[in-house]
Amino acid sequence: MPNITLYGYELDENSYRARLLLSMLGLEWQTVAVDMFPGQEHRKPAMLALNPLGTLPVLQRDDGTVYGTAAVLLSLARSHDQEQRWLPADATAFAEVVTWLGFCETALGPAVEARLQALFDTPGDEAALRTAARKAFRIMDDHMTLRHFEGVEWFAGDGPTLADLALFPSFALSRDFGIDHGEYPALRRWIRHFRSLPGFLTMPGIPDYH
Amino acid sequence: MKLEAGWVPVALSSSIEAATSAGAVVEGSEIVVWRDNSGVVHVWEDRCPHRGMRMSFGFVRGDHIACLYHGWQYDAGGQCRYIPAHPTLDVPSTIKVPTYVSQEKYGIVWATASPDAAMPDIGPAVGSTPVRSLYVDCSATDALSALDAEGLEHISTDTGLLACDGDKLFIAVQAITTTKAAVHAVLLGPPSADNAKRQAHHARRLEKMRYALEQAAEFA
Repeated sequence: MPNITLYGYELDENSYRARLLLSMLGLEWQTVAVDMFPGQEHRKPAMLALNPLGTLPVLQRDDGTVYGTAAVLLSLARSHDQEQRWLPADATAFAEVVTWLGFCETALGPAVEARLQALFDTPGDEAALRTAARKAFRIMDDHMTLRHFEGVEWFAGDGPTLADLALFPSFALSRDFGIDHGEYPALRRWIRHFRSLPGFLTMPGIPDYH
Repeated sequence: MKLEAGWVPVALSSSIEAATSAGAVVEGSEIVVWRDNSGVVHVWEDRCPHRGMRMSFGFVRGDHIACLYHGWQYDAGGQCRYIPAHPTLDVPSTIKVPTYVSQEKYGIVWATASPDAAMPDIGPAVGSTPVRSLYVDCSATDALSALDAEGLEHISTDTGLLACDGDKLFIAVQAITTTKAAVHAVLLGPPSADNAKRQAHHARRLEKMRYALEQAAEFA
């Protein structure tokens, strides 16, 4: 097994994205818990030495350090997904996957911020963040409405990819900042499919039905 | 229309899969729409009597729905049957979630507190294919005006038939709040080989209508 260390915070959805992929790839890893709230340890010298941007997650392997959520996901898939399922080699499917990864880093930014604000009182315009998050979820729901007519229940290609994995946490956690799932029927169907994938794991805010 | 006034469309049947639940709002009243394992749909007030948690956040087990907070389980009649913290307790009959009467027709889930009210009638059953539920940031009145402009042939105040590019759609409008509405749309007639294409075509048309309605609402 490769030597993998993940620096992350239990309640941080971006750290969860990395954990999800590690788990779904069937990998073993060590976790270093970083006290993001209230400690702000991710922005202090020890962590800044690993990632000058002061973000989580940070991935450390024998061959180096990777930071930035999309970079961590892409790099894990490139190194450890022999079947190229999560990051398809097919040019069209690849383009779709990286388009949604870009969406995740940009359009879903407000959803990530809205949640941190609701949980930890971080600064930001609450109404504007929620409006932007709703707009992003609606784009996702419209897309999955049409995909369902085509008989495909995933965002890109013809099976689950990094697109689904990267998009899943923000929608699954949206109730943390007051956006219910009622208005997004196509996304409700999709998250149920995603939850049934082998290696799926939850985080606080994403119930583990018992 | 309020749940007390008649049959209100609350979801497409296809959007509520077996053993799942979803929250919805009718003129400000929060409801849970859920389908049990045997396929029967239920519409209740969206509140666990224990701590007020929304039942729509919970999970379905067989013909029971359980609250996410403490796992209290309710049967199809809304009666609490099992409290995990007190497994041997014979649960008092007073612990009950208020329920609405529900029915599925034309591929749509309807609910009401007045079951004697008339259900919209479009004649003999012809079969239906789901298109989508369109959630729009505008009033139900404005959504209906836009549909009227497209030639909606009313069956009732909030429902009607829409002839569109060779197809016939059945449309039912749900008032969510004064500034939000849902337009539930199904394609009428027997399924055909090019269903997927037609579903996508009408879904896209509805998205355009949503855009126009929200532009108008924003600049009103």
